Amino acid sequence: MPRRETAAARALRMAAMTASVTGSYIGYLAQRSFLGEKKREEKLRSTHAKTGRRIVNDLQSLRGPAMKLGQFLSVQSGVLPDETLSELASLQREAPAMHPSLARAQFKGAMGAAPERVFKSFDETPFAAASLGQVHRAVTHDGETVAVKIQYPGIKDAVKNDFTWFRAFATASQIKRRFPETLLGELERHIVAETDYESEARNVEFFAQALRPLKYVDVPRVRADLSRDVVLTLSMLDGESIDAFLSRRPSQKLRDLVGERLLEMYYFQVLRLEAFHADPHWGNYLFRPDGTIGLVDFGCVKYLSRAFVDNLRAVFLYPGRRDSAAFRDLLARRYALAGQRLSAKSQRALVQMATEFYGKVYPPDIERDEERFDFGNAPVVLDYMRETQNLTRAKGTLPEYVFLGRAEAGLYSTLHRLKARVRTSALVRRCLADRTV
Amino acid sequence: MPASRARQRRPKPPSRVTKRPTPPRGGRTRERQKEAVRQRIVDAALALFQSKGFDETTTRQIARKAKLAEGTIFNYFETKEDIALHFFELELDHAIATVRGNARLRRAPLDEKLFALVEAQLEFLAPYERFIGAAFVHALRPTSRIAFSMRALDLRNRYIAFVQELLQESERIPTGGVLAWAAPSVFWIYYLGILLYWLNDASKGKQHTLALLDRSLRIGVAVLEKRSL
Repeated sequence: MPRRETAAARALRMAAMTASVTGSYIGYLAQRSFLGEKKREEKLRSTHAKTGRRIVNDLQSLRGPAMKLGQFLSVQSGVLPDETLSELASLQREAPAMHPSLARAQFKGAMGAAPERVFKSFDETPFAAASLGQVHRAVTHDGETVAVKIQYPGIKDAVKNDFTWFRAFATASQIKRRFPETLLGELERHIVAETDYESEARNVEFFAQALRPLKYVDVPRVRADLSRDVVLTLSMLDGESIDAFLSRRPSQKLRDLVGERLLEMYYFQVLRLEAFHADPHWGNYLFRPDGTIGLVDFGCVKYLSRAFVDNLRAVFLYPGRRDSAAFRDLLARRYALAGQRLSAKSQRALVQMATEFYGKVYPPDIERDEERFDFGNAPVVLDYMRETQNLTRAKGTLPEYVFLGRAEAGLYSTLHRLKARVRTSALVRRCLADRTV
Repeated sequence: MPASRARQRRPKPPSRVTKRPTPPRGGRTRERQKEAVRQRIVDAALALFQSKGFDETTTRQIARKAKLAEGTIFNYFETKEDIALHFFELELDHAIATVRGNARLRRAPLDEKLFALVEAQLEFLAPYERFIGAAFVHALRPTSRIAFSMRALDLRNRYIAFVQELLQESERIPTGGVLAWAAPSVFWIYYLGILLYWLNDASKGKQHTLALLDRSLRIGVAVLEKRSL
């Protein structure tokens, strides 16, 4: 075991583990930490994300959706550096690893036949972790190389149970105030949706179609004939992780190109598609030497309402003063859409964010459109999170912010790592200009 | 088919119960005929156990279904409980063959081997779920031949011996300890518990059983290997 702990603490974890034998996601993860898996120890030894480690350790007593909540909270409250974020992002998708016999049994339970019969060849060792499961490489009988996602058994029910538990727990505590029911409901819907590979398949198909205007983005194709609720088969995309990509020392020009594309992808999704890939985990972006990008894992997708996006359109690159009555009125209307009243405190936080953060990263003056914002210079993500933290303190968080914040923080930390110089405002303006998809 | 894949493929669970893997070879026709008749009886009995229920099925009905004289059946099996036990012997043969037939499993960690064993058993039993439930209840009676006959004892001992064998293959388990000594017998009881859970598992593809099996085996093996507690 990595840490010494009191008997009481251990008893508690044992209790969490056994309370409901298959019923709790917390149980799965408690078990994993209880058994002190090698992989985690290695990770803890190797990386330099000290804070991440500490927080990850602290969060281990609060795993499952509780941990996911903690993670969203941390993105929202913005006290964490970007390394920490990535550490947390990797935690969030962890399910206990399945050995080949278990993966095979789970596959067979869903598909009615074992993988070695369904596929021409099937790699027993997974090549990646997926949302609450793992991904195997396989070749279909018609010769296509595919990625087969298999979900850990029973995780959907476990997640649902944990939310029931969390609600009961949250009622009696301060958490309730930080997490109003609207927010909790939103999170539950999305985390449960992430366990539903059929809904993910629909997301993949939607984005494959909708992202077509962006020629440089590749989205996998769903093999519906080889997919079920806990098994999802997708065409394999090539490309490498950001770490591998950066290790080849790509030129500034290439990094700028990729950076601009990432930023455009984000605003194109939010403003034009009114739906976005809300899982900015680095493993979900596959980079290629020609500057094209593969986008995978559509388990967490947020669909926005037209009215909400219209409001964003009015606010983005707002040309006038951001402490003006007109601008504040726009913000108030956004909250009215959600049936909330914008408090004076939240309003101050939002106006400050619009001026101090967005005004600097995205100068609204069209004359400055050719200027490139250098994401390599400053860890913008820290500024971003400091601002969102102010907003959270002011209790001004809308459910949409949770996902926008997650995607945006992920975007900025990627751009920072790329040291990309990006014509931010020009790209946003382009996405604002045309609404036809 | 590439050879490596052929090796990995496990024996398919039979939709009908097939022969024991060690039939008399060499073409002694009488022996083979006997085995075929035995098979007919078992197939007929299982079909009836599954459709009518174990308790409701009589040897007369089995005979009719197998198109044999009732007396013939008694040449092979004393009671219908013996037919059930024969079926469970086949189940164990299948499970052992599955674990041993997979080259990769030889080097796999103990928890995966044990998982593969139980999973192969459940795979074999899956088409006869209703019958298994009835047999389980039957075995709880103090007079049950399914639980308390010599034949049942042999079956249990074979199972325990195989589990013992798997445990001994693991170098991480300290020998001579009380835990390691008791583990194979405890595993038998554990298996019955899993079976009960499986029978009551309404989740899709019996996912909950898979999860319980995986998690409990990991913990159990960790305890045996003194990695925890």
